[in-house]
Amino acid sequence: MKGARNRWIQPAINLAIAVALLGALSFLPPDTSLADRQKSGVLKLCVPPSYPPLVTGDPQRPGFDIELGARVAEKLGLRLAINTLSSIGTDFNPRNWSLTRGQCDIIAGGVADTVQSRSFLQTIPTPIETGWVGLSGTGQLPAAGGAVVVLPGTSGLDRLQLSGWLRQQALQVIPARSPQQFVETLASGRAQAGITERFLTAAMALPDGIRPFWLEDARFPRFHMAFGLWKGDQTLKRAVAEALAAIAASGDMAALEASYHIESIEEAP
Amino acid sequence: MNAIVMALRGLYGVWLREITRATRDRAQLIGGISRPLIWLLILGVGLNPYFRGEVYGEVRFVIPYTYLQFLFPAVIVLNIMYTSIQFAVSVIWDREFGFLREVLVSPMPRWLILLGKVLGGATVATLHGALVLILARFADVTLSLEQVALALTLMFVLAFGLTSFGVILAARVRSFEGFGVFSNTVILPLYFTSSSIFPLDPALTRAQQAVTYPEWLVFLVQINPITYAVDALRGVLINFNQFAPSWGVGIIVAMAVLFFAIAIIDFARQ
Repeated sequence: MKGARNRWIQPAINLAIAVALLGALSFLPPDTSLADRQKSGVLKLCVPPSYPPLVTGDPQRPGFDIELGARVAEKLGLRLAINTLSSIGTDFNPRNWSLTRGQCDIIAGGVADTVQSRSFLQTIPTPIETGWVGLSGTGQLPAAGGAVVVLPGTSGLDRLQLSGWLRQQALQVIPARSPQQFVETLASGRAQAGITERFLTAAMALPDGIRPFWLEDARFPRFHMAFGLWKGDQTLKRAVAEALAAIAASGDMAALEASYHIESIEEAP
Repeated sequence: MNAIVMALRGLYGVWLREITRATRDRAQLIGGISRPLIWLLILGVGLNPYFRGEVYGEVRFVIPYTYLQFLFPAVIVLNIMYTSIQFAVSVIWDREFGFLREVLVSPMPRWLILLGKVLGGATVATLHGALVLILARFADVTLSLEQVALALTLMFVLAFGLTSFGVILAARVRSFEGFGVFSNTVILPLYFTSSSIFPLDPALTRAQQAVTYPEWLVFLVQINPITYAVDALRGVLINFNQFAPSWGVGIIVAMAVLFFAIAIIDFARQ
């Protein structure tokens, strides 16, 4: 018995050394992204000019993502620099927003945690959800043959899936080019309901009695909004993720959500 | 009943011998550590900046993971390939020094002796593959217990197939020196043409637009079974598949069955 035990001592020591060595090496920083930001003392957050309530353009209440970014920067001991870029959100694919590493460390205010976003950026999801929402006075879409006005938005939701589904439901689609046209079509009664991306409704002056509801179909999953970081900036990503986790644990995140009324679409002002 | 117990004890004995020998051999363990270090820490970190998605405003690398994450499952497969195929050295060793003859005259059927050896080799190779999992934090790969269990299962079946493949090679190579050279000429081309260090453009369709490869290379990648093994592990570990997920699992299982069957025939001839 003792001999059998002794037989395994050497292999166990060898294995323990291997595990300890690899375990220790796994803590090496794989890049200098965090060290570079610490050296400069600045964290650059890129946002669109407006994407309420995540980015409002109001200095008093700048938006959920900006306030969250400020808290992250504070946790990292960095000064937050906001870069407002009008190219963000101009296309549903973030690849086409013409962003560079020189301009941004983090991209926020309209980045959804989708495969499309992740093909370009690495994302850290925030608790805020987006997805397709319907808008109508009845809280549901009209029956087959009814008309719906659709404003797809730019956050990267699957518009092809939506158009196929609408065809399947035999709904008549009225495309809208802007939030204003969307609201006008709804108000005029030409469309019995509307479909758009969740956060586009925040900037709309909706007619009385019109309320939003999620499109509850398995084909339309909801996505978390996210902070986008450049691929390869692992150390910065880890630090930001840890800071966000600490903010969530302290209850600050929930308070921020409540202050912007974005816990759910029913809470929206 | 007694015969079954005797056979299982024999199987355990052969398996244990392989495990003991491999885990006592520091050189093997050093190999198991050095490969992930070279491939992940040196090559992965070295090339990471060139696969950052954006280089001076131009989009370069459009897969939804970082290069380190992309490389991580491939390094596991590399570690398994080396350990499994190099395991055949033990078969040559046993043959050269007469141990095999002694075992073959035992009442155990030959296929059971081979099964014991292959299971031993596969266990050691899986252990070497699992060593790479320790570097998951470094590569920023988040793993759940379920993912680890599934990955270990796939790794073991792959290791079983490749260890059997090593036995097939050993039956055709007579010397240690010859096998050393031969195994490298098998392992490295298989590894490099398995989409292990670069994503395959046609499989990524519209998502991967920046890089294109000549058709002969794409062909080599597509006919290489290791491609699908790497892909299956990528699916489990980073949730990214370049091919249908079932292909990887099917090919790994098929390799295990086919190579073991051939190895039994070869082993019976010895």
